[in-house]
Amino acid sequence: MLDRIDPRSPTPLYAQIAGRLRSAIAAGDLRPGEPLPSVRQLAAELRVNPATVVQAYRDLETEGFVEMRQGAGTFVREVATERRARERTRVARQLIRTLIADAARAGIPVADLVAAIEHELGAKTS
Amino acid sequence: MFRVILQSQWKWSRLFIVVATVAAFAVPILSVQSTGGADPALPGELLSTMQSWSVIYPTLAGALGLLTAMRAWASDHSGRHVYALVLPLPRWRYVLLRFGAGLALLAGPVIAVTLGALFATKTATLPHGLHGYPLGLALRFALALLVAYAVFFAVSSGTARTAGMFIAAIGIVAAVQVLASAASIDLPIAQTALRGIVDWPGPLAIFAGRWMLIDV
Amino acid sequence: MSHAITIDGLHYRAGKAFEISDLTLRVPAGAIYGFLGPNGSGKTTTIRLVLGLLRPLAGRICVLDALVPNDVVRVLARTGYVPEQPHLDHTLTVTEAMRFHAAFYPTWDQSWAERLLQDFELDPTQPFGKLSKGQKGKLMMLLALAQRPELLVLDEPTDGLDPVVRRDMLEALLDYVAQHGATVFVSSHLIHELERICDWVAIMDRGNLVSELPMDRFKAGIKRLKVAGAPADLAGLPFKVLARERNGSTESWVVSGWQPDMTAFFERGETTLREIIDLDLEDGFVELLRAARRPVA
Repeated sequence: MLDRIDPRSPTPLYAQIAGRLRSAIAAGDLRPGEPLPSVRQLAAELRVNPATVVQAYRDLETEGFVEMRQGAGTFVREVATERRARERTRVARQLIRTLIADAARAGIPVADLVAAIEHELGAKTS
Repeated sequence: MFRVILQSQWKWSRLFIVVATVAAFAVPILSVQSTGGADPALPGELLSTMQSWSVIYPTLAGALGLLTAMRAWASDHSGRHVYALVLPLPRWRYVLLRFGAGLALLAGPVIAVTLGALFATKTATLPHGLHGYPLGLALRFALALLVAYAVFFAVSSGTARTAGMFIAAIGIVAAVQVLASAASIDLPIAQTALRGIVDWPGPLAIFAGRWMLIDV
Repeated sequence: MSHAITIDGLHYRAGKAFEISDLTLRVPAGAIYGFLGPNGSGKTTTIRLVLGLLRPLAGRICVLDALVPNDVVRVLARTGYVPEQPHLDHTLTVTEAMRFHAAFYPTWDQSWAERLLQDFELDPTQPFGKLSKGQKGKLMMLLALAQRPELLVLDEPTDGLDPVVRRDMLEALLDYVAQHGATVFVSSHLIHELERICDWVAIMDRGNLVSELPMDRFKAGIKRLKVAGAPADLAGLPFKVLARERNGSTESWVVSGWQPDMTAFFERGETTLREIIDLDLEDGFVELLRAARRPVA
């Protein structure tokens, strides 16, 4: 889940880390009360500045997804179901936005794109 | 801090320090023993033997001072002094610690020559009129060692370039001397230079003079 | 202390090679500050000036609230240094090197040093001269970290080392920073590594500081724009054009100082913005340097 953050992307690293954690919480992969890795651990694992991890955790705390407890660590908070659903929608829309932009750049008309989506989804469920 | 500097300097110098200590102890004893079968009633022979052995002491002092001083600085030079310059102590203190460590190591040969000289003179039967000067010799040796060490230490602590120039100058003088004598040209420049340095009234004068263990 | 290193109006020259003139630089306390630049741009010289190994001709260097070179001993007691070339005596063993170093720093942490010795998999009985390049680098990092410094000055610490060694060294460094909040001043050619860990990036070229910005702001500000209908004259733009290249009817501009609201600029006039392409740190660095050397009219 937290591997493959992209340092070369223009999205700041703290935003990338926060984004992944947010999605994990929204998807229910991280349960309420579960501890996030310590700043020290995550910074060393991802090989990023510890300040970056702290900022990601702080942003998540401000948004209400986690709680930073002095001396104990950072823990996932109980997040209302609608909130999680909203987050999933937000991420989905973001993915689609990127997809549409990429397709436009490659000169693919929308109709072809929709057809391709349906094909791929159909192929998966069959 | 002194302890680790001493430890590292011992590690680098221990070979020649040990050799020099053994030599410093042995030379006085051997010099007296070499007269072996000499007639104690013939002081002249004993004196000339002492004379011939006497050149070893200043040579040993000079060489030991040179080696100890050079080895003290060799690793700093190879690292361009960067490591030492980034250590959190003033440069003069670092230099003083290095100097002191070398002195501590040189105590060994000094003690050895003292003991050797004492042993040699105490066990020898001296002809009438001749006296042994073990402590005088040992003191002279210690001072000469100190002077040699201090001079070469000062030279080595400069840049590698100045130390190199110094050694090159000595080398050139020696080379010219060798060539001159090979061509049978009488050109005692090495001797004159050495004479000049040593006779000049100053600390280097200690190298001249009499290094006689047993004398009148 | 708000800044770990403050350099004002630094002037230094060594022969005819190049000169550092009027260098002003600020490293915030607790930051990981990356120092980039081509070879010969003055990075190592600046580091040497900061450590008091060289004397400046003019200017003021303040490190950890003390002046260099006046008060340099106080600074060095709290500064760890990993040099470009490992410079320890070749006959000292790893243990002896550690013992030597420890004697000079009252803040030396022996248990941390031993843990690093294990993590780095260094053989304590090996003489320094017999260590591989990577092992030497790791030992220098160990010595600098076990000192428990407030400031770490690293001159190309991982350049030329294999990826496994680089990871080990970076993890140890970040672990230390996470625990002790030290400031790190690191110069390197491994731009992708710096991109991960630095929150500030400064770029030096030919003795001059070309850019000094927080990492995110630098990367957000440097973009490649695909424009159509571009004017010949580039005056009056809200951003700086570093390079322009014509590709048929469109032009490709590399700009710095870009902000997202500048798209508004293209909504009036004949110039249209077709695409915004993000540049990573390496691309940004290269374009910035090229522009510094061959400014676009």
